[in-house]
Amino acid sequence: MTQPPLTIPDSIDIQQAEKIVASNGTPIYVINCPEYEVVRLSFVFHAGTITQARPFVASATANMLAEGSANLTAQQIAEGLDYYGSYFDINIDRDYSYISFCSLSKFFVSTAKIAEEVILRPTFPENELAIYCAKRKQQLAIERRKVETIARENFAKAIFGEKHPYGISYPESEYDTLTSDDVKTHYRNHYIAQNCIVVCSGNITTEVLECIKSIAASLPTATCQPKIEIPPFSSSHTIRIQHDGAVQSSIRMGRLLFPRSHEEFIPMQVLSMVLGGYFGSRLMQNLREQNGFTYGVFSAMVNFQHTGYLALATQVGTEVTEQALGEIAREIETLRTQLISEEELELVKNIMAGEMMRILDGPFGIADVTTENILCGFDNSHIQHNLERIRRTTPEELLSLAQRYLKPEDIITVVVGDFN
Amino acid sequence: MQPLYFVKTMIKYQHTKLNNGLEVISNRDSTSRLVAVNILYKVGARNEDPNCTGLAHLFEHLMFRGTHNVPDFDTPIQMACGENNAFTNNDYTDFYITLPKDNIETALWLESDRMCGLNLSEQACDIEKRVVIEEFRQRYLNQPYGDLNMLLRQMVYTSHPYRWATIGLKPEHIADAPLESIRKFYNDFYHPSNAILSVSGDIDAERVFELADKWFGGIPDKPYNIPTIPVEPKQTEARRMEVERDVPATTIVIAFHMGNRLSKDFFLGDITSDLLAGGDSARLYEHLIKGKKLFTSVNAYISGDVDEGMFVFTGQLLPTTSEQEAEAAFWEEMELLSNGEIGDYELEKVKNKFEANTLFGELNVMNKAMNLGYYSMIGDLPLINREIEIYRSLSKTEIADFARRTFQKENSSTLIYRAK
Repeated sequence: MTQPPLTIPDSIDIQQAEKIVASNGTPIYVINCPEYEVVRLSFVFHAGTITQARPFVASATANMLAEGSANLTAQQIAEGLDYYGSYFDINIDRDYSYISFCSLSKFFVSTAKIAEEVILRPTFPENELAIYCAKRKQQLAIERRKVETIARENFAKAIFGEKHPYGISYPESEYDTLTSDDVKTHYRNHYIAQNCIVVCSGNITTEVLECIKSIAASLPTATCQPKIEIPPFSSSHTIRIQHDGAVQSSIRMGRLLFPRSHEEFIPMQVLSMVLGGYFGSRLMQNLREQNGFTYGVFSAMVNFQHTGYLALATQVGTEVTEQALGEIAREIETLRTQLISEEELELVKNIMAGEMMRILDGPFGIADVTTENILCGFDNSHIQHNLERIRRTTPEELLSLAQRYLKPEDIITVVVGDFN
Repeated sequence: MQPLYFVKTMIKYQHTKLNNGLEVISNRDSTSRLVAVNILYKVGARNEDPNCTGLAHLFEHLMFRGTHNVPDFDTPIQMACGENNAFTNNDYTDFYITLPKDNIETALWLESDRMCGLNLSEQACDIEKRVVIEEFRQRYLNQPYGDLNMLLRQMVYTSHPYRWATIGLKPEHIADAPLESIRKFYNDFYHPSNAILSVSGDIDAERVFELADKWFGGIPDKPYNIPTIPVEPKQTEARRMEVERDVPATTIVIAFHMGNRLSKDFFLGDITSDLLAGGDSARLYEHLIKGKKLFTSVNAYISGDVDEGMFVFTGQLLPTTSEQEAEAAFWEEMELLSNGEIGDYELEKVKNKFEANTLFGELNVMNKAMNLGYYSMIGDLPLINREIEIYRSLSKTEIADFARRTFQKENSSTLIYRAK
């Protein structure tokens, strides 16, 4: 039978987040979707790994928040959430820590009582910290047996500089000397009102909002904050690391570019999509579908607060590593010399529109996108702006971007595998 | 204790069967702008020849290789702002697509097309075999602990095809699979009466059935008597396997045979695993990580298979813990349950959590479409709305009885995965 006709969405309506300011200045963003019987409350602190005074203290602080508070033990906190089927979720990246609570609307008030203890009154007991450190130390040792982990850590060093807070990695043994005082100091300095935004979504009733305001308003305000120094970036060259017995090599390539607020970030996203951002991308077609070198290959633009970069990652059979590197170089060269066809560009634009629709389908996805927008200094009207920017991208613009930003001499390559 | 009943959950659905035997299930969700189209084939690794394993999974890959009518499967989906993927397990193979609801016919067109006209050329098979072998290497051979589950299956099962993982027993089986076996596999298992189509989105059931008939109604059925699966004989003595590997920490696994998906023991096993390991307040974490400080991670889970499955304990040891201590600690936990030492609050908590998880899972059209297909496949579609009630009804006496019957030495298989 013949192909049915298509409808392509050309706009995405998404509600603006309502902004409320708590009495201590903490901004609260509200996305009210009363048709869903759930609530998610997130606190985002500018307390990621670049803010840490010693190795692993930023992640330890975030992960230890629920390990005991002034009024509750770790067990009581865990049980208090589990009893209502509520979730507690921690995420940390280079720039921020994200602490989220998720519950059915009718149990939000009970969940908020626990949230208040976790956010405002953690005690970081020594015993719990020792257990945490032993566990993380072992997990990290296991992770570092994987070629993809070794490649990821070395790629960060190569792209930002070995000592740069965005690039550095530390030996597992640093966990041995981490103390409760280190964690308390990090908490005191960074988990404060000036460093925080609160985002909530779902069925936000007046009662729910009052609870949230009361927690946010109790965050301490500091008179002076430690200033975070961002040293200049220093990218290096190609790195090869021997890993005996690996049956696959892990390849990471890319280069430093600019953060999401840069006007060329979105068109670079389109270009990275063409290269390796979807199942039918050029690299996927070449390395997987035509050559069977890999199970998968992916490229994307990544955004940090102070910069952004293009990254490409894959794992290929040890015996085809050089061929795969050659094919990747060839695909990049093609982007620099030939105009992409209108059909291929149209396909990529539709995929990106579809991705946005999927992310924005449901209250939590809307909250995630809202958070990302706020952290980049935008509001939710930026989503429509992005969609239009994607639609306006032309083959000529992509060619020009590739010629300027994908010069072979600017691309960093890290390969981890068995070269013998 | 007064039970804390949550909201009444109910996935409303309508169900029909086309003349060619294709089952069609529809769920209306008016909150989403997307539609999820799921098609489940009742074929998995269980249906493979022991000398040619990995075929069901290889076949899932081949389903994306295009047909005579539509040489490229992915592009039309992506043009329609859609996203698609698939997975295979021991029991079934599932293909799913989400896209803007106006484009539902694109999904139906493509799924109906590949149900009957797949292009199984020598060349397509050769390349896909290489991709799958790279997947085998990436996920099972080039990872610390990658072969652990394979070793466990081979010990726990002697006759039933669950003794191999979906990826297959070894890469050579995939490399050597003859083209005629691959073609026969398609012929035997990919036809209307062996498939279930389920749809969730803002479309009414009548329209879904009409569209299902339009796109699938003309596909002739090819009935095939699926050979019976060998029954696993009752285990009569304890089994043990010890291996040494280059990993940072020793892992211990103890597995037991338990009931099939439709038996009451399935639910008893599931709730028992929740008591042991459902969330940070659960027993194993509290007793063995925090209390006795023996492990860095512990888990208890059920394999969840359609036929008689496994109940599994697993733990990663701290360097200071002996294997004997670790093993004994698991048996003590089993003893506590067998003696009926289960608190009312604790039991209520895991029931609440189960109910909340079910509700969170229903926020999303894709989960719903997938679940409808799954419950229909196991032969009890209404069970999808009865499970919470079944969980609520389970008593301490029944759980203790389950633990006594299941956690027997002669029903156990112990794997010591020792760090070199």
